[in-house]
Amino acid sequence: MDDVLDEVVSSEDLEKFEKVFHEQLHQGNVTHKAQFEYAWCLVRSKYATDIRKGILLLKELFNSHAEGKRDYLFYLAIGNARIKEYNKALHYIKRFLEIEPTNQQVLALERQINKRMETEGLVGMAVAGGAVLALGGLVGLGIALASRK
Amino acid sequence: MDCVTTLKILVIGESGVGKSSIILAFTTGDYNSSFPATIGVDYKCKVMEVNGLKVKLGIWDTAGQERYRTLTNSFYRDAHGAILVYDVSEPKTLQKLNEWVDELQVYSTKKNIVCLVVGNKIDKDRAVSREAGQAFAQKHRMLFIESSAKTQEGINLAFEELVQKIIETPGLWESTGSSSNIRVTSEERSQQESSCYDYTCSI
Ligand SMILES: Nc1nc2c(ncn2[C@@H]2O[C@H](COP(=O)(O)OP(=O)(O)O)[C@@H](O)[C@H]2O)c(=O)[nH]1
Ligand SMILES: [Mg+2]
Repeated sequence: MDDVLDEVVSSEDLEKFEKVFHEQLHQGNVTHKAQFEYAWCLVRSKYATDIRKGILLLKELFNSHAEGKRDYLFYLAIGNARIKEYNKALHYIKRFLEIEPTNQQVLALERQINKRMETEGLVGMAVAGGAVLALGGLVGLGIALASRK
Repeated sequence: MDCVTTLKILVIGESGVGKSSIILAFTTGDYNSSFPATIGVDYKCKVMEVNGLKVKLGIWDTAGQERYRTLTNSFYRDAHGAILVYDVSEPKTLQKLNEWVDELQVYSTKKNIVCLVVGNKIDKDRAVSREAGQAFAQKHRMLFIESSAKTQEGINLAFEELVQKIIETPGLWESTGSSSNIRVTSEERSQQESSCYDYTCSI
């Protein structure tokens, strides 16, 4: 395992939080906590169907519970990156960085996503998808570093 | 030369004591004076050399916040080492370490996991004596060190001591053989099971 995107939830955890969530769902009263815990497990599943479910749950939380926004944005980015929806992931990262521009945890995630896009040959698509600024920043940095020598 | 093993290291303690700063200082040498609270669980990798052996460290940083407390329990599983951090300028962070020690005892699966107590922020005015920190560590049979993520003092030493002790503990770690890529994981959830889900979100 090299970075956070490689982390896979244990089936034990996924089942545990799935159970809590479904119990609350049947009683017609799902708490933010239970929904988040379940979504947090889902986006770290190795199955794309699970991850997509997790993303839906997180979006719902994002729209209904202002307090946890930074957590929801972060895991929306992780979930999308894990199903290779890199443009969407970068979009959430951008929104996060608008609030906390120097958050190193999020900047590290951005670097990991960019690295994956590069190795998967998707950089061109990212530009088309509107990540021009992010890439421009990287290129700019490269030039700055090169000219310092 | 390939790494002889991968070690799982946990960093725990109250929010704000400097866990993320210590990891950042160790992995990159950087320091950030306004570090935002960690989201969920963060993970960093670093290769280190001890006794002439290359060892890969997987360092897990946990958020101290309440909302993640139930979620972090599984992160104790299979950890080889734990770093318990308190802030020498905030006595209650050392008292609170008792709870983290309890949690570690409940959830860690390796019986001889190596633990290191770190008193951080020694660049600030201290309110906890070195002796008090040392006594705490001794009581729980843990290693002890003081550090400052700000000045880098003690940071490398902390990880070196911990890893050294882990490597010297027989039976705690396994060396990665040539077939190290074939790791058996416990994620045997079937595709079918995960796709029969009929809850639709109202977005
Ligand atoms: N003076 C001083 N401040 C520190 C030190 N380590 C961390 N901090 C500051 O303490 C705050 C909390 O640190 P952080 O690493 O986020 O703590 P965490 O919640 O345990 O991860 C941040 O504002 C850091 O800049 C240190 O060694 N000395
Ligand atoms: Mg932190």
